Amino acid sequence: MIATTSNDNLLLERISQGDMASFETLFHTHYDRVYGLVYRLVGNRAEAEDVTQEVFLKLYHQAFTKRRFAKQQTHNVSAWLYRVATNMAYNAIRSRKRRWQRNTVLVIDPIERKSVSEEVEKREEETAVRAALARLKPRQAQLLILRQMGFSYAECATACDIAPGSVGTLLARAAKAFAKAYQQELAQKHQSARYAQNQHPESRELEEKK
Amino acid sequence: MNKSEEQQIREALAQIGKTAPSGHDLPTPPAQAFARLQARITAEEEARLVNRLKKRFILPHKQFRYAFTSILVILFLGIAFSFPAVRAAASEFLGLFRVQKFAAISVSPDQLAILERIAEEGLTPGEFEIAREPQMQPVDSLAEAQTITGLEPVRTLSSLGTPDEIYVTTGGNGSLTIDLAGARAIVEAAGGDPMLLPERLDGAQVHVAVFPGVEQRWGDISLVQTPSPLVEYPDGLDPVPLGKALLQVLGMNEAEAERLATEIDWTSTLLLPVPQNTVSFSEVMVNGYSGVALFAPEGAAIMWQDSGMVYLLGGAVELNELLDLAGSLE
Repeated sequence: MIATTSNDNLLLERISQGDMASFETLFHTHYDRVYGLVYRLVGNRAEAEDVTQEVFLKLYHQAFTKRRFAKQQTHNVSAWLYRVATNMAYNAIRSRKRRWQRNTVLVIDPIERKSVSEEVEKREEETAVRAALARLKPRQAQLLILRQMGFSYAECATACDIAPGSVGTLLARAAKAFAKAYQQELAQKHQSARYAQNQHPESRELEEKK
Repeated sequence: MNKSEEQQIREALAQIGKTAPSGHDLPTPPAQAFARLQARITAEEEARLVNRLKKRFILPHKQFRYAFTSILVILFLGIAFSFPAVRAAASEFLGLFRVQKFAAISVSPDQLAILERIAEEGLTPGEFEIAREPQMQPVDSLAEAQTITGLEPVRTLSSLGTPDEIYVTTGGNGSLTIDLAGARAIVEAAGGDPMLLPERLDGAQVHVAVFPGVEQRWGDISLVQTPSPLVEYPDGLDPVPLGKALLQVLGMNEAEAERLATEIDWTSTLLLPVPQNTVSFSEVMVNGYSGVALFAPEGAAIMWQDSGMVYLLGGAVELNELLDLAGSLE
């Protein structure tokens, strides 16, 4: 599924000689997947595209300005890309949290044409999943997301720069941490809902009348 | 892996699958996205070229830039983890930091590579906001430098006569809003103990101000004079564990960091991380004031503080010559 390290290395070798076409090929190879990883974390198309651009801009600077990839023989560029993408997505989430913005923009998807309540419920679920991911260590979230995106164990090992034999163990650990974080999110959500109802009893009356 | 673990993985992946992009969340086609990236790269390259030209023809003195930039960078890097905690008389809620002493810390090439990688990979200790960037400009005389900067007096090296070139820099200020998770991730990635950073650090704001300064140049010799930078930080933080975390980030082991963190006065000591393989250092007395001497293959520099003013004197000469020159400061 992902480009092999040897293919990437060939491209990097050409990039280190100033070949922009090889950089474009590398971009096309990894763009969708980097975007997919970032989107699953930040949950907003515009923000995910911005972060993805920043990731590839960093890659450009590493490759052309700092000539990082010219210094060594072999590189695991996919591991570098996904690690940087995860870090930058986490930065974006924290920065947004700091500004007291919502985790997900509640925009109705015109294509799926769901009812408003279904759409709200769907978005709330997504928000809880993203919030749970944000509670994990970045490396755990990265591994889970890549696996969900269809990466094989071998590809996960390459992309996360870990030994192939330890992928299963690390996945199990990450899934356990995710389950715990998700439960915490749900508990917090219910607590907030109860608090809101106590503060605004009229909303509960309306619910009961329904 | 047992069955319940497999089941837990399946459930986690199913939940995460709900966050996959669909419909209007799918990304811009790669060709368009690449065109946007290329436009940004072109704009950045052009800006860099303009900067290079500016530096080449307008601000030619590398050491001058180094002096101010390094003070800013060191402050930002250092202060991110090392807020002094002693309450200052100036404010009930804020602490104040002014440079009175310097402590050079040797950083190994391996640790520098780790720190460089951390920066490259996008880990940040929070959000930096530069409200006003210091600007530099050449001036014709010390009197003009004094008028522009308001420094009284602008001191000069009488033994060298009139400077060949004089530059002034305006003041600047910025802030850092700490993100605890990011700061802890950096400490951990650098091999330190992230739990040394307390919960209350999250969201704390640190304000840094640098003041107008003057640089004079005589051939290879350069003298920078600037008031001590000022840092405001939340009061009540215990500086020792924060300092310990900073020292661990710079590559010290736990025991060494513990010892030094308790020895340093974090309200007035500016840490100078120096690359072990290229720069060495020693403590030095300059005109009766304690300072630090830095030695590199290209030359030497001394840095000291005198009556709230920080001085940096450097050049392609021996330490003794720098000390003699400093003696002629008036």
